[in-house]
Amino acid sequence: MRIGVYICRVNADVEGGANLESVGHYVANLPQVEVVKALGVLPRLDPVALADEIAASELDRVVIAGDSPGFFKPAFTRAMSLAGREPDEVRLASFREHGSSGDGATERAKAIAACAVYGVPFTLAARPLDTKWGAATLVVGGGIAGIQAALEIADGGKKVYLVERTGTIGGHMAMFDKTFPTLDCAACILTPKMVAVGQHPMIELLTYAEVESVSGVPGAFRATVLRHARRVDEGACVACDICSEVCPVKVPSEFDAGIAERKAIYIPFPQAVPNAYLVDEASCTFVQTNGKKCGVCAKKCPKECIDLDARGEVLQLEVGSIIVATGYEVLDAARLERYGYGVQPNVLTALEFERLTNASGPTGGRIVTKSLRHNKRKKVDEWVFDPEGESPRSVAIIHCVGSRDSNYNAYCSRVCCMYSLKFAHLVKEKLPDAACYEFYIDMRAFGKGYEAFFERIQDEGTFIVRGRSASVTDRDGQMILKGEDILSDSVVEIPVDMVLLAVGLVPAERSDELARMLGVPRDDDGWFTEADYNGDPTGTERGGVYVAGVCQGPKDIPDTVAQASAVAARALEGAMTGRGLQSLTSVKLTDIEARAKSLVPAS
Amino acid sequence: MAIRANPKLIEELEPYGAEDVMKCYHCGNCSAVCPFSEDPYVFPRKPMRHLQMGLTAKLEGQLDPWLCYYCGECSDQCPRDAEPGETMMSLRRWLTARYDWTGISRLFYRSWRWEFGAIVLVAIITAIAFTLFGMSQGSLADYDGPNAFLPSSAIHIFDWALALVLLAFLVSNAARMWWFTMGRDKTLRMSAGSYLRSLWLLPAHFFSQARYGQCDRKGPWVTHLALMLSYVVMLVLIMFFLAEMASGPEIDWRVHVLGYLATAGLVVSTILFLRNRVKQSAPQYRHSHESDWIFLVLILLVALTGILQHILHRSGLDVAANVTYIVHLSLVVPMLVLEVPFSKWSHLAYRPLAIYLARVRVTALARSRQSAEPARGAEPSTPLRAA
Repeated sequence: MRIGVYICRVNADVEGGANLESVGHYVANLPQVEVVKALGVLPRLDPVALADEIAASELDRVVIAGDSPGFFKPAFTRAMSLAGREPDEVRLASFREHGSSGDGATERAKAIAACAVYGVPFTLAARPLDTKWGAATLVVGGGIAGIQAALEIADGGKKVYLVERTGTIGGHMAMFDKTFPTLDCAACILTPKMVAVGQHPMIELLTYAEVESVSGVPGAFRATVLRHARRVDEGACVACDICSEVCPVKVPSEFDAGIAERKAIYIPFPQAVPNAYLVDEASCTFVQTNGKKCGVCAKKCPKECIDLDARGEVLQLEVGSIIVATGYEVLDAARLERYGYGVQPNVLTALEFERLTNASGPTGGRIVTKSLRHNKRKKVDEWVFDPEGESPRSVAIIHCVGSRDSNYNAYCSRVCCMYSLKFAHLVKEKLPDAACYEFYIDMRAFGKGYEAFFERIQDEGTFIVRGRSASVTDRDGQMILKGEDILSDSVVEIPVDMVLLAVGLVPAERSDELARMLGVPRDDDGWFTEADYNGDPTGTERGGVYVAGVCQGPKDIPDTVAQASAVAARALEGAMTGRGLQSLTSVKLTDIEARAKSLVPAS
Repeated sequence: MAIRANPKLIEELEPYGAEDVMKCYHCGNCSAVCPFSEDPYVFPRKPMRHLQMGLTAKLEGQLDPWLCYYCGECSDQCPRDAEPGETMMSLRRWLTARYDWTGISRLFYRSWRWEFGAIVLVAIITAIAFTLFGMSQGSLADYDGPNAFLPSSAIHIFDWALALVLLAFLVSNAARMWWFTMGRDKTLRMSAGSYLRSLWLLPAHFFSQARYGQCDRKGPWVTHLALMLSYVVMLVLIMFFLAEMASGPEIDWRVHVLGYLATAGLVVSTILFLRNRVKQSAPQYRHSHESDWIFLVLILLVALTGILQHILHRSGLDVAANVTYIVHLSLVVPMLVLEVPFSKWSHLAYRPLAIYLARVRVTALARSRQSAEPARGAEPSTPLRAA
């Protein structure tokens, strides 16, 4: 076979592009290459003249090489048929499309050109022969993303280690009252999945545990996981609550976003998975005094499953893939002093309101303002939620708290508009006579059914005010919210009894450490960077490590679940076949060339 | 009628210091935190919008920029770094140029080289003129007495002549300001009575700058008030007591005390302002237009040469005192001639005028609202207020 290589390009100066002269010399030395011609940038191609050339050189195959060479294919295909050759023998060596850029762009371009000359697809030749791929997957984070990914992989028949930092899986979604825009009960969707995780034979659930280090290569990672001492035997505990009843220590409950209290030995919430209590060592008197005081829970436990002297353990896991699903935290609202969070008792963050309005929350779902109560133990007056407290007559919801703001988070947190509208609905549903205001900058109702939901909230009588409010102050015992109503050009003051702050999302604590351990970059805002924004939104630069959910960027529940299912497929690919693609960039030119040669069909 | 939008307006404002207007996404935070923003003068967001849209006619007719004192709260809290405070500042510069019918102000604000060149030119002319005048009728060796190089009587006449010319410029520009903001507005009828009844606002705000004191940070207001009062005291002394100040060793103690106070006030406040601008200590000092520097440096130099001239005169060094006097005059004259009607000084007139006109306008608005709804009587309640 006689082969001609034509080098043409669409763009003049591709930054970091290959040295085409060097590629030309290399290609000229490949077997059967008779003609190498550089036609420059956007050459004017005359099929008739080309056909004469092809016929004169007696070429059987034409390779067009360069960035986006497909642009020139029609002219060469026509020329080949005019010359009486096989039109299918026009092959493309697409440099840019196969990742020839930056360091090693020239070497890569050579490999791409070689594959085209041999008539072997580049992706096929560049695939390494066999990499042993571990069958197990490590999922970091037990929120809805981690739960969904773990379930799908486990249902596919492969082993999953699900590592969760807190005492239960469920994450933020477990705290929510309703989902938007369907207003489904969040727990009704989540808890069956949680139970499935807890019972699945292929899922090893490691709660109250953290990934300490990761070594190895894609397909064969070794992860060290530190399992904190739960001090309660998960298998034996029947969640009878006696230990918690006798425990004398009260601290703010994380699950209730701090608006209610829990004991030092506790279960985060009744539907927790695993359904077992745990001891919070930071607040437990026994642990803090090295066993000198208290210990009453261990004595009272009817199942004798509390071991207050238990120590944490370190586990070594061998896994093929790692899925990062560490989620998010909410911005600390106290940073925006002007909204009075932490000063005005009835300024709440979104998560606090989720718990307040949740039927499993401290008020049984009644929306009430805080009441002043005397705390005898601490001898101070405290603002607390009393289920019998007064209902607010007017509620304001402030959007974009710390979001789209160069002083805090420059990005849009994407979920706040919709959850704020959901709050308005919940307020109007439970307190039809209360006035409800939404202060927004831009209403981002982008998802399926979201615009209709927005319309519904407007119909329900919520005042939708365009303008981010500026301050919440107290005037003679009445909270006053001040803001500009952009659409009427007026600065307005509104008396309100409750203010809900739609705080933005920030990456979870310790994301930076995890990113370093895994060798996965994060963007300027701290979210994990995907391999390719459009083409590979679940992969990362590190082979075998995938991202799902908010840790990759703010997103709502449907998108999170979709992405979690997608990463499950990615992890299963390696786990099922036992081999996976190594990162193509790490494969040497000589290997690709040798493999391309070996793949040439015998004629 | 629809308003013609001018897409080039932002470009036009750039030389005046408006840089980040396009970043604004209209969250309204600035207007709501502004201690001055109140119906119907809601800013800075609204003027920013007018600027983004290029609504020249609307901006030209606005008093809002003069009602802003640049506390910097808006820029501090702006989520987009759109610098609303600086935008208002640049609008004041632009309005000063619009009010000025000679076009000189526009030239100065758009090019500091022109402003600086004009100052140098006027300074040189002043120096030559006064030197020639002094040599023609007196002796360089005498500061006062019958043979004085620059006798206070002659300077006095010059001062008054200059003052009248400058006043004419300033008043004509102020009249244009009135025409743009009030006179040509056919939608509202401003009664002569309301003009008269609110007239007290002019001197009240000129001397107290009480509005500036509404900013949370009081420092800038105090410094600004000190600078302005020192300036006015010095002006009064020079316009009415020049003979007492300059002549003989027995200066009246009252003139003496006031003179020292005013000089100290000028020096200290200009140095404070310059330091703030160098250190960029607060939002309102982060952006300095060339005209801001020129103004402050000129005042400081005028004050310093004044002090030096006084010391030399008191020490009996008449020749040196006369030379310093010439230098002093060649700084004073450009400062007055160029800064009063055409540059930063003019805000001393426009600000109280704007407060005054704003009050008249509000009165007229209230009356037209009343007459429009005679049946209802009471103020209509908006849905926002109702709750």
